[in-house]
Amino acid sequence: MVDINGSKPIYIQIAEWVENEILRGHFKPNDKVHSQYTLADMFNINPATAAKGLNVLHDDRIVYNKRGLGKFVTDDAKAIILEKRKNETLKRLLRDVVIEANHLQIDEQELRDMLEDVIRDHKGEKT
Amino acid sequence: MNVIETTGLTKTYRRMNAVDDFTVTINDNTITGVIGRNGAGKTTLLKMLAGLIKETSGDVRVFHEHPFNSLYASANSILIDDQMLFPEALTLSELLAQGARFYPGWDEAFAQQLFDYFSFEPKQIHEHLSKGKKSTFNMIFGLATRCALTIFDEPTTGMDAAVRKDMYRVLLKDYLAHPRTILISSHHLEEVEHILENILLIDDGTLHLHKSVEELKEYAVRLTGPTALLGQWLYNKDVLHKKQHSSDMMEVVVKRDFPLEQAERMGFHVTPVAPSDVCIYLTAKSEGGIDDVFK
Repeated sequence: MVDINGSKPIYIQIAEWVENEILRGHFKPNDKVHSQYTLADMFNINPATAAKGLNVLHDDRIVYNKRGLGKFVTDDAKAIILEKRKNETLKRLLRDVVIEANHLQIDEQELRDMLEDVIRDHKGEKT
Repeated sequence: MNVIETTGLTKTYRRMNAVDDFTVTINDNTITGVIGRNGAGKTTLLKMLAGLIKETSGDVRVFHEHPFNSLYASANSILIDDQMLFPEALTLSELLAQGARFYPGWDEAFAQQLFDYFSFEPKQIHEHLSKGKKSTFNMIFGLATRCALTIFDEPTTGMDAAVRKDMYRVLLKDYLAHPRTILISSHHLEEVEHILENILLIDDGTLHLHKSVEELKEYAVRLTGPTALLGQWLYNKDVLHKKQHSSDMMEVVVKRDFPLEQAERMGFHVTPVAPSDVCIYLTAKSEGGIDDVFK
């Protein structure tokens, strides 16, 4: 959900919400995504903020414009989102982990071991 | 289209400039928050825009007309505040009927639904309402006019938190259905910022900044770190606020005109600053705020 007081700008949260809907298959290629007005109503935000979120998706070629009709999901949307999350979100999270590890004076090997533990635990939870 | 244009707008009361050389343009179909400290000149500015008082010098245009003596501007704008006077001889439902008679865009069904939702009684007299109920009624009245320029000056005075939240939601939904130019002044930016597009910050009668809410969110960052290191790093930076946590830890709010990675690499803790805090720091009289008084 959108967190008004969160540290992430609301328009980014809106873009990510639409991306998640695409990843979950709720919006398929060539489906129309919600308009800025629908998003504004849903998340109780100014429509200009919602429009800015949609523009991010447009710049990233996740949606395309049909004049007067709205914004639609591109064929490559899913692949683009996955690539974007990998390159931006995941790398940022990893960088934060490395910075925090430095603060705590954890050496590289210990950090690697911790990561492997987490991966193993996560696999265990899934099965 | 520009709905509001002012150039060098000034209002002087007893040789004090309440509004001082104020130049701003506001586009149609936007919601703008008018933010400022007590006595910053918000009300004076809004009253001049609504044509209720006349400027001392400078120029003000609303729908390209001079609001103080334009019937057109007057019929298409309304100012809602907690000092609105309604005739005491009329009941609340009679007041709504008069609204319908005066404002061509008046939405009777909308007014009635909100009237019922907030549990008003048709025969009540405006003067006898509690502070919060008065504000609620005034806000309903203002929204129902659907005026192309609707100005709210501290519209939520006296309302409880639940009603404030409801009314801002009503305002947003009504704006989505009927886009128009809305100005809202408020002391509680954090309560309205989500529905605003732009913010107009007034300080000592002058325009301090006019930016989108999103820009204001990225205007400044808060850095926390060792006093010596941070203090040195701050050289040449635009510091808005400083606070000493302990003898060796310091917190500063700086204008964000450098890559954040730069600060992170130094090991400073970087956190965002809410727009309401940015406004407070920008209009503070000293870097340390009230704490400076106790030094």
